[in-house]
Amino acid sequence: MALMEVKDLSMRFGGIIAVDDLSFEVEEGSITALIGPNGAGKTSAFNCLTGFYRPTSGSIYYKGEPLVGLKPYQITYKKVLRTFQNVRLFKNMTVLENVKSGAHSISSQFVLGALLRTKAQRKEEKEILENALSCLEFIGISDLKDKVVKNLSYGNQRRVEWARALAAKPELLLLDEPAAGLNAEEKENLIDLIRRFREELGITVFLIEHDMSLVMKVSEKITVLNFGKKIAEGTPAEVQANPLVIDAYLGTDDDKEGSAWLK
Amino acid sequence: MLHNSMTEKQLYANIKSGGENSLFTTYEIIFQQLINGLIQGSFYALVALGFSMVYGIIKLINFAHGDIYMTGAFISFVAFSIIASFSEGVVGVVLAVIASMLLCAAIGFSIQRIAYKPLFDAPRLSLLITAVGVSLILQNTVMVITNGQFMFFHSAIDNMAGVRFGENIGISFLEIAMMLITAVLMIILTLFISKTMWGKAMRAISTDKDACRLMGINVSKVIGLTFMIGSALAAIAGGMAVIYYGQVHFFMGYIIGMKAFTAAVIGGIGSIPGAMVGGLLLGLLEAAGTQLIGSEWKDVFAFGILIAMLIFRPNGIFGKTTIERM
Amino acid sequence: MEKQKSKFIVNSKKLGFFGDVVEKCYVLLDNKKVKWMVFAAILALAILFPLISTNYWISVMQNAMFFMLLALGLNIIVGYTGICNFGFAAHFAIGAYVTAILIRTFEWNFWLTLPISLVASIIVACIVAGPTLRLRSDYLAIVTLGFGEIVRITARNLQITGAASGLSGISRPELFGIHLTTISHWYYVFLALVVLYIIISNRIKNSRFGRALEYIREDEDAAMAMGVNTAKFKLFAFIVGAVMGGLAGSFFTVRMGAISPQSFQFIMSANILLAVVLGGMGKIPGVLIGAAFIAIFPELFRDIPFIGTARMLFFGILLVVVMIKRPQGLWPERRR
Repeated sequence: MALMEVKDLSMRFGGIIAVDDLSFEVEEGSITALIGPNGAGKTSAFNCLTGFYRPTSGSIYYKGEPLVGLKPYQITYKKVLRTFQNVRLFKNMTVLENVKSGAHSISSQFVLGALLRTKAQRKEEKEILENALSCLEFIGISDLKDKVVKNLSYGNQRRVEWARALAAKPELLLLDEPAAGLNAEEKENLIDLIRRFREELGITVFLIEHDMSLVMKVSEKITVLNFGKKIAEGTPAEVQANPLVIDAYLGTDDDKEGSAWLK
Repeated sequence: MLHNSMTEKQLYANIKSGGENSLFTTYEIIFQQLINGLIQGSFYALVALGFSMVYGIIKLINFAHGDIYMTGAFISFVAFSIIASFSEGVVGVVLAVIASMLLCAAIGFSIQRIAYKPLFDAPRLSLLITAVGVSLILQNTVMVITNGQFMFFHSAIDNMAGVRFGENIGISFLEIAMMLITAVLMIILTLFISKTMWGKAMRAISTDKDACRLMGINVSKVIGLTFMIGSALAAIAGGMAVIYYGQVHFFMGYIIGMKAFTAAVIGGIGSIPGAMVGGLLLGLLEAAGTQLIGSEWKDVFAFGILIAMLIFRPNGIFGKTTIERM
Repeated sequence: MEKQKSKFIVNSKKLGFFGDVVEKCYVLLDNKKVKWMVFAAILALAILFPLISTNYWISVMQNAMFFMLLALGLNIIVGYTGICNFGFAAHFAIGAYVTAILIRTFEWNFWLTLPISLVASIIVACIVAGPTLRLRSDYLAIVTLGFGEIVRITARNLQITGAASGLSGISRPELFGIHLTTISHWYYVFLALVVLYIIISNRIKNSRFGRALEYIREDEDAAMAMGVNTAKFKLFAFIVGAVMGGLAGSFFTVRMGAISPQSFQFIMSANILLAVVLGGMGKIPGVLIGAAFIAIFPELFRDIPFIGTARMLFFGILLVVVMIKRPQGLWPERRR
């Protein structure tokens, strides 16, 4: 059975159909991508998976349990973590404090623990700290831990976001356009990192992406979306050869996208 | 509060005495409370319009709006005491209210420019706190000028003159005039919003500010205009309140600000017809509440309605449910 | 977002020399030993203050500490969590009236009224915030404002709360066999409370609970994506703040020996809010200084005719100016 299963997912905003009867699966231990030209409904689909939108119809199963109707935080508690397209960090807090937030769903101390500073609370604080440090280490930004996030470069902010997601010990990681705004070198690092997520930490990765070269290199299975509908599915090679896909990308007015595709 | 023939206390006493030694019949009480409710509701509606317009366009609960009403009342009072030396009657009163309208429009515009505009991109909380600050400034400016005292207003207008329907009840010309003015203002405003370019721009901005900028709409000008219109309407309400109740106090805007917000929420905040209906409805509900549970609980009753509305129907009667897109 | 970024750069440049000094102070304070020494010195000064001062200034300082308690309470709600509460005086009124009624009407011992005051604060906070926290944050602003009025009007209308004239003749409690009557006694009681509230604030700030509140303030969606049940945490922040306000109210009652609805007007709420905003939302030392300013300022200008009456006008201007020019408050920000 697939780790995550999306069945006949539809999302409507008034008269606009953003996602139309979309079905796909994410196998455990795979790196799967959802791609499509601008406005194809990728982000809407993504927000349905993470509980930020409630889909108009259809169902989503994670490990056989339905996700539709759950709040975003409840999905996080199932160890399904997400990142944001335009980096949503806690800007006035330090990198370390940001990464500690990842451990929220795997810790439990509450008001009384905080006030009385119980033994259990202190132990948990220590674990949260160690966990956060090891995540920073994994991403390679330990030296930034005391910096306030808003003063960091965009590339580093993205890395903090990954570290933060990692701190929740996810089993499935959902990345929303992780390469957006990164330079060539940072993209190479990202590809490397995504592979390490799976190889070293055993995390299943699902990403939606714009950048074709990155997707082709890193993912094993790709679902292509256009006007909210699935138009193709398969390995990178299969998708690349599919005439419908070529049409979808070349058919847009955006020349850059078309030429990038042909390369 | 003074009403033409029955005070609230009398009405209340009447109900409490179980109607045995009652001076008034049930019919008379209902009629009287209906008028009270409509008059009060007109004030709420006029203030609520400004609330709703501003909220619609920049999503700010303008706490200072109730104090604009108070400022309007105060300026009307001051203007009239100057004008009264040569015109004590209707003309003088109308001139005073018009002066107050213009000044308040200018004040509303300045508040928006100086205090709110720099914070449009800041977190919402900053804007709300600033609005509380502006409210304090307006209240306390008038407080310092009046030394915290009630100011009493006397004009040559006879508040009692009117049409009588029997011995105890009637409606004064002043009340008729006020309701007519409110109705006319609402019609003008509705036409303005739906027919003119400016009105269209306002509606467009409330949907998508950035898109409006791209389409060449001068967003900041339109926002300024919205504040001016809202403030002018509040000033008219304030002016009418001075004439009707005969007094001004620096704190009078605080409660009505919250009531007007309640009215706006009842009608669906951001909706113009909603603010009108909400205002009148709240006025009538309050009149009914006053009659049933006593005037000292009137405000508690109104805020109870607000909280109940927010819980059970936060989008109001006319508001639309929207899905927030990320 | 771009705009905000550039604003911060301008701000840090503007600080110039002052900013450098602050930066150095922060580096110094990062050293734990120095931090404790500074803290101990301030505490020692506060303890010795009544010995070297007049009764008048002791009472002013005690009033300032009372404001600190309220401001620290509101700080949890507005400062840490970034949600509105514009009727905070109502929470303080709840505690004050519960204690006053229990002592006067039912002749309870003061110390026994505290748990009741706590429970009442929790219940009331749930009633106010529970249903409205799910809604837009600015709706909460108006609901708290309306609630402030409801509490005040109710207190004024009911017989049990002594109606408009309030309750008086509330007996003073004993502590360790000392009947708390003199101004110095109360000074030390409030000093102890301030220390307790600082510890509470600090512990919350450095806990999973407190961090979650700050995540909510910074970005609610991102907080939710990290597993924070935002509605629940906001409610608990509201409750903790309300309880801190309520207990401060209980102590206020017995210290004054009398209370009336006059004490819980909107101006009170506005003052507490200003204390929090002025010092810099979420920063404990800033909030303390803000509260001290609010309490001491009117005393300094009491005899000067215009400024005395126009105090709130000045505060209003200050509120607007701080929000526009220095939204992070007067207490300087940590920049790294």
